[in-house]
Amino acid sequence: MSDLIEIEDLSVTFRAHGRTVRAVQSVSLRVPAQASFGLVGESGSGKSTILRAICGLAPVSGGAIRIGGQPLRSPRDKAFAARVQMVFQDPYASLHPRHTIDHTLSEPLAIHGIGETDARVVRALTDVGLPTSFRFRYPHQLSGGQRQRVAIARALMLEPEILLLDEPTSALDASVQAEVLNLLNRLRTERGLTFLMVSHDLAVIDHMCDRVLVMQNGRAVEELARDDLAQARMKTAYAQSLFAASADRMLDPAGKETR
Amino acid sequence: MTALTLWLTDPNPSSRRQARLGQAWLAWLRLRRNPLAMLGLFIIAALCLLAAAAPVFAPQDPFAQNLAERLLPPGTPGHWLGTDDFGRDIWSRIVHGARITLSIVALVAVTAPVIGLLIGTVAGYFGGWVDTVLMRITDIFLAFPRLILALALVAVLGPGVQNAVLAIALTAWPPYARVARAETLTVRNSDYIAAVRLQGAGAGRIIWGHVVPMCLPSVIIRVTLDMAGVILIAAGLGFLGLGVQPPLPEWGLMISSGRKFLFEQWWVATMPGLAIFTVSLGFNLLGDGLRDVLDPRSASR
Amino acid sequence: MSLLQIENLRVTFATETGPVEAVRGVSFSLGRERLGIVGESGSGKTITGRSVLRLIRPPGRIEADRMTFDGIDLLKVSEKQMRALRGPRLAMVMQDPKYSLNPVMRIGAQLTEGLLRRDRISRAEARQRAIAALEAVQIRDPERVMEAWPHELSGGMGQRVMIAMMLIPEPDLLIADEPTSALDVTVQAEVLSILDDLVKSRGMGLIFISHDLRLVARFCDRVLVMYRGRIVEELAAHDLMAAKHPYTQGLLNCLPRIGGPRAPLPGLDRTGDWAHV
Repeated sequence: MSDLIEIEDLSVTFRAHGRTVRAVQSVSLRVPAQASFGLVGESGSGKSTILRAICGLAPVSGGAIRIGGQPLRSPRDKAFAARVQMVFQDPYASLHPRHTIDHTLSEPLAIHGIGETDARVVRALTDVGLPTSFRFRYPHQLSGGQRQRVAIARALMLEPEILLLDEPTSALDASVQAEVLNLLNRLRTERGLTFLMVSHDLAVIDHMCDRVLVMQNGRAVEELARDDLAQARMKTAYAQSLFAASADRMLDPAGKETR
Repeated sequence: MTALTLWLTDPNPSSRRQARLGQAWLAWLRLRRNPLAMLGLFIIAALCLLAAAAPVFAPQDPFAQNLAERLLPPGTPGHWLGTDDFGRDIWSRIVHGARITLSIVALVAVTAPVIGLLIGTVAGYFGGWVDTVLMRITDIFLAFPRLILALALVAVLGPGVQNAVLAIALTAWPPYARVARAETLTVRNSDYIAAVRLQGAGAGRIIWGHVVPMCLPSVIIRVTLDMAGVILIAAGLGFLGLGVQPPLPEWGLMISSGRKFLFEQWWVATMPGLAIFTVSLGFNLLGDGLRDVLDPRSASR
Repeated sequence: MSLLQIENLRVTFATETGPVEAVRGVSFSLGRERLGIVGESGSGKTITGRSVLRLIRPPGRIEADRMTFDGIDLLKVSEKQMRALRGPRLAMVMQDPKYSLNPVMRIGAQLTEGLLRRDRISRAEARQRAIAALEAVQIRDPERVMEAWPHELSGGMGQRVMIAMMLIPEPDLLIADEPTSALDVTVQAEVLSILDDLVKSRGMGLIFISHDLRLVARFCDRVLVMYRGRIVEELAAHDLMAAKHPYTQGLLNCLPRIGGPRAPLPGLDRTGDWAHV
């Protein structure tokens, strides 16, 4: 069986004010269906740009992206929207400030001409663990974690196969991060979703993903299976330094030490 | 708290309408804390009331001439603001003139911002050559002094209220286009626009449903602040004899006719001038207050 | 003697829907040490930090039984005296350097501005001190950074410049509000070691505000854990892993760990009595 997401030699180059920035340089990766793949790296490593390139939000200057064996059409069409959706990093910026939650969630249904709006919106809210009484609230009446749940609900309205997650919890508090990560994992098992997740936090990636690609300065450094990451079996110096800087993420909290 | 305010402040509204009204109620509470804005609102409300019930507030027919009573000073019994050179009661004329002023203001307010908003958001959203073409057209309009351009248009179209409105609207939209474009440029690359694009929405839906609501507050603020200018241009056109035609009691026209007696009978020109001043001030105060309430940058927290 | 003493600090904001208490009776004292304040967003940790510098704008109001800095009653001094304290004696580093540096002034001009205006020293001397401060925060070519505009700096550089700027007047107390959370892990470590050095070598007091418990535990001497405007637990940093309070324990437990189990992460249980104080 061929992989669901195939990226081959992808390059993304931004041109602005006569300068060219090569944000991604010939990166290849493959994600099988229903897997969870992580991209880690520091800021400027190009990890988020890959997600944006898949969505047609960044200029691809070379290479190919295939979903389910099919090359993507430019601009991305409605069929793409029904297969691939994205959750953004900042829940304070990714919801329209003047639209109610109801408006935000029913918009994709309206675009795709899907009926039973009421029932679907209510079900979407329950699925992400929000009370239905929140339906007509505005984003500023919700906390960061609640907003991110709404953003996840929006991404799932069209029942996509692939969810692109761009640092979905880095703007959230630790306890809320745990709740959102649990929610994402639950939804993935329930719906058989495929995740492509970007994070700077190795612990989050390790918790969520089966395979990890370490990136630096727009290039792929090293691809690791989850076990290799946990056992610190990385071959490149950069991946090792990243691991060392995250060493406190391995600390066992008090309750677990006596186990 | 009454049942209504409870309904409005319900943290869990049960319909879009309730949610929207609840937000409007909060905005109103914020506006109410600003005494100057409330003064502006009061002036404009009073103007609307005067215009709506002009025959009630005006003791005399604004067109009734009485040469025996011409140029009476303010404070004369029966003519507390005095009379003009045809013996018409100035207060009655100002009250009836409020109708003309208000209709000009209203017509300009519903046309110019819409044109500007549309051009600005389309230019800002698409960028590239669409932006260049639309904004250069805007620049051409901006390059002319507004009154001169309005004058030229009226000169071509012929004088009259409708043509004055048309001329003012056609000269008033470029600033709105600029404001809307600037706002669109900041909104265009935001995550929530990317999210709706990812859902397969077309440009029309994005501009109308997502970009315009973000530009609306700054445009509304701009409109209220501009209304003073619109009144002044309408008065200017009237003053030059190119807007409203005599004997209609338009304020600018009244000032123009009082010009001849400015030194001896100062009130003939001063009273409509004070009316223009008060209403302009009202709009400016309200606009300033609205800025605090509607500005997305201050209301977001 | 302690540098800063705060007793029963309360900060209230008047809003359309009535007053909101952001800080509800916080007391602590600080010597020449590294004190961490941790808590989630909305716990009042940032407001606590800002109220020490009296940087709370109306409709916010600061009340306290006692708030003294080096014998000065911070509640009584005039705004003018307060301005004289901010900078030379009390300094604050904000979370995001992008919003704290003036975008239309070169770095050098911003660094020397205070020196030239307040201390009235010569331009050459001010420049020297600014360069020395940049060197102190491990900036490799300070000459070039002096001539740079804020937008030309990376996040880590910007944050280091901010720290340098705050340190030029050699304050007695530095309040750092999430100084490293916008930075990459490798840069974070550098910035922390710079701060650490400065506390040790200059005997400065440091209040380190962060949401990251493990970071604070590693870096500070003492930790205050805040929840909904109150201090729920105070402990020595090396005892953090033995925290008693269910909130602190919950915060520690809900973090994913490298090589940890795939089971759902334990959420923070907010149903206990402690959560409704």
